[in-house]
Amino acid sequence: MSAKALLLRLGQTVFILWVVTTLLFFLFRMMPGSPLAAYIDPSMTEEQQAILLHQFGLDKPVWVQYGLYLLNMAQGSLGVSFIYKESVGSILIQALPNTLFLTLTSLLIAYAFGTLMGAFLAARRGTWLETVTLPAILATRALPEFWLGMVLLAIFSFSLGWFPAGGATSPGASFPSAFARYTSLDYLRHLMLPALTLAIFLQGLPTLLMRSNMLEVLQEEFVVMSRIKGLSEWSIIMRHAARNALLPVATALALGIGSSIGGNVVVESVFSWPGLGRRLVEAVSGSDYPLAQGAFLMIAAAQIVMNCVADVVYATLDPRVGRR
Amino acid sequence: MKRTPPTRRTVLASAAALGLTGSQAKADAPGDAIRPLVLVCKPQATDPAQYQAAQLCLQEWRKLGLKISVQVVPATQQSTLVWMNRTKWDMTTWEMVGRPERSDPDELTYSLFSSSLADNGYDFVGYKNPAYDKLADAQRAEEDRDKRAVLVKQAQMLIKQDQPYVYLVYPRRSMAFNSEVWDQATIVEEAGIGIRNFWTFLQARPLGEQKDMILNTPQPLSSLHPVHMDAIGSWVSDLIFDHLMRVDIHGNPVPWAAESVRWVDPVTVEAVIRDGMKFHDDTPVTLEDIQYSFQMPMDKNKTPQFYPNVANIASVDITGPRTITFKLKAPQSSFFTSTLSKMSIIPKHVWKPIADKLAGTNQLIEDYKEPNLIGSGPFKFVHWRDPEEVMLARFDGHWTPPKLDRWILRTVSNQEATLGMLRNNEINFLAIFTGDPQNVAALAKEIPKIKVVTTTDLGFQFIAFNLRRPPYDDTAFRVALSTAVNRKIMAAAAWNGFAEPAGSCVSSALPFWHADDSLLMGGDLAQAKKLLADAGYTLSGGQLHYPAGRKEEISAG
Repeated sequence: MSAKALLLRLGQTVFILWVVTTLLFFLFRMMPGSPLAAYIDPSMTEEQQAILLHQFGLDKPVWVQYGLYLLNMAQGSLGVSFIYKESVGSILIQALPNTLFLTLTSLLIAYAFGTLMGAFLAARRGTWLETVTLPAILATRALPEFWLGMVLLAIFSFSLGWFPAGGATSPGASFPSAFARYTSLDYLRHLMLPALTLAIFLQGLPTLLMRSNMLEVLQEEFVVMSRIKGLSEWSIIMRHAARNALLPVATALALGIGSSIGGNVVVESVFSWPGLGRRLVEAVSGSDYPLAQGAFLMIAAAQIVMNCVADVVYATLDPRVGRR
Repeated sequence: MKRTPPTRRTVLASAAALGLTGSQAKADAPGDAIRPLVLVCKPQATDPAQYQAAQLCLQEWRKLGLKISVQVVPATQQSTLVWMNRTKWDMTTWEMVGRPERSDPDELTYSLFSSSLADNGYDFVGYKNPAYDKLADAQRAEEDRDKRAVLVKQAQMLIKQDQPYVYLVYPRRSMAFNSEVWDQATIVEEAGIGIRNFWTFLQARPLGEQKDMILNTPQPLSSLHPVHMDAIGSWVSDLIFDHLMRVDIHGNPVPWAAESVRWVDPVTVEAVIRDGMKFHDDTPVTLEDIQYSFQMPMDKNKTPQFYPNVANIASVDITGPRTITFKLKAPQSSFFTSTLSKMSIIPKHVWKPIADKLAGTNQLIEDYKEPNLIGSGPFKFVHWRDPEEVMLARFDGHWTPPKLDRWILRTVSNQEATLGMLRNNEINFLAIFTGDPQNVAALAKEIPKIKVVTTTDLGFQFIAFNLRRPPYDDTAFRVALSTAVNRKIMAAAAWNGFAEPAGSCVSSALPFWHADDSLLMGGDLAQAKKLLADAGYTLSGGQLHYPAGRKEEISAG
């Protein structure tokens, strides 16, 4: 990708982010219900209510609020949460690692499984194995996440007691550092069921994508040549064909990271996982504009940036794309 | 749609259907048709019981000839409409939650129906009745408890006559604990609150190795601040910060950090403070600390949420080596419960510098995030890992230290998972359950170590009429609508049997204050129709009309 094309792509990314920011700002202000409803005690005088309005910055005209919002954003501030009275940035940063660990773990499981299973199914095309497995994969993709989560909870937590039913660590657990927390066995045990739920939900795409790419690649001349050379079937599938079929799967993974960060709301709620998704739900239901805007913006930014990354990576891996 | 004008024949036919005699029916010139009415309600997913209750009411009211619909809105929109747009709604479902300070009937008896609070206070329905005001003021000033109870009951009966609300039920809340972890004899039920109360947390005796009490909350806390209102946060702050008095398990205020409290005269209260109390940072609790605990919230611009609790205090003075004297602006019989049991004792050396720092700024003291929550209560603050958990530990320096080691409140958003956690001992105290209470009962049946205690709540569920808007300004209309609603069916169907029919703002959980006769059981459609007919309402074309000569003043929608 040329420097000019790269700059153009980055410019587009910034523009889209600005559009999203603006839309979020006005959409939340169009939502019915005042954020003050949760705070204003009816026994407060109008003067006291005015103090709260001023505190929230809601006494200013909406365009002034918008200008201030953009100005604060340009300075790296997402504002202060109405509910928690803390900077939105710090609330989101606190929740982000949990969401990232959950997302990346589940994507890793889903794409590792999907890639191998896709390659395997392509190699076994037309067999009874494919007849049984394909519908099963499609079915898991269609399962509602909350239902799947509850089934896993019922089996592995309530009945077998192998995994905890919620949270990210055991009650009262303390860790000397954030690193110690995220790498502890306790954290990984808590991560397992939500990550598995999300992975089962996510594996359908890489499996089907890999399978269809493999079916195409297996028709290529170099595969025929490999067979003529007498290479083993395993070697042909995994070392030659699979490597060539991986590119679209890698792109899907990049996009999957972006979309999954915002798509964990259900899983985080089922497993009481302290991530971005739950913050988002609380913020929207409590009309906490700054927190909701910040959370949505972070999710949108992840999606937009990962799209941009996917474009750049694709162009780098396949120079024909960049030249088009 | 074009409306066919009612003929004399149709009106007479309708009157006959209502069971009217010829003289009763003002059939000659019926008033305008009542506009389509709207009942505002939270979504079914947010509060299934309330939604179901709204549907049941509508079903009956339509039989009276009313065109009526439910408008489902998010909770914040409902609050905005009810509190801030007081002339823009007809009816709303609503709930008053049970809180320990509401075990004194004053807050609800006075605030909900006092004319002085009708314009922008708690009296959101706009009920104004001088006779009621007299009773509400009298009970507030009456020092004799028995005489006051008579006044409070009279006030409830007056509300029964006027029906500004359709009281529905007092919900029954189920809480549970693991009896293999906690000595059952030390888990106590507080009237109207249940087993999740200060006294349980103080007395609960662990039976084995597990000495941590692990509880659940469905939503994260927003604040643990001693002068910030947060329903669940107050469970925690109540343990960290002590009070001069506390509400006991029977709902009565009893001396706590004060050794004794007495009325010197109707506007003077004297409290003798317990000796040797310490804050969690090992500094002694002084009279200056206690004086400051009541003075700081008096700045209404800095602590607007708690200001109403101290608004009636004229002065707080140190009048002896261990004595604090409160002078009130007016007599207030609920002072022990609403103020002395509510206001937290805070260390002046921590909060005075904060208040000084915030003076002259926009920031409220109640929004200040004080990371070291130092109180003098039986539990000390350890950590708040938002939104995962809050942890407190036993404060051995307290004059009545708890028996458990650590108190851990976990946020569990999934209600079914909460029950799974109780089963697996991931939590050992079910502090709140917002799902179907039948599931808790079923779990206890399956696992004998799980003990469930179901308590009638201090709070109540109701439908509020907006008395500022016709036809709700007519008492007869309100009474008729209320008569049509069957509370027994309501409790059984909407609340799955986990509720008691309600008749007043003072819950049956407080038998000393509750007027048994206040209950209008309802479910009598014929009587409701008769009441309407007697008041001059007529049916025409299947639609209820105002009494003769009365015009519809408000457009529909």
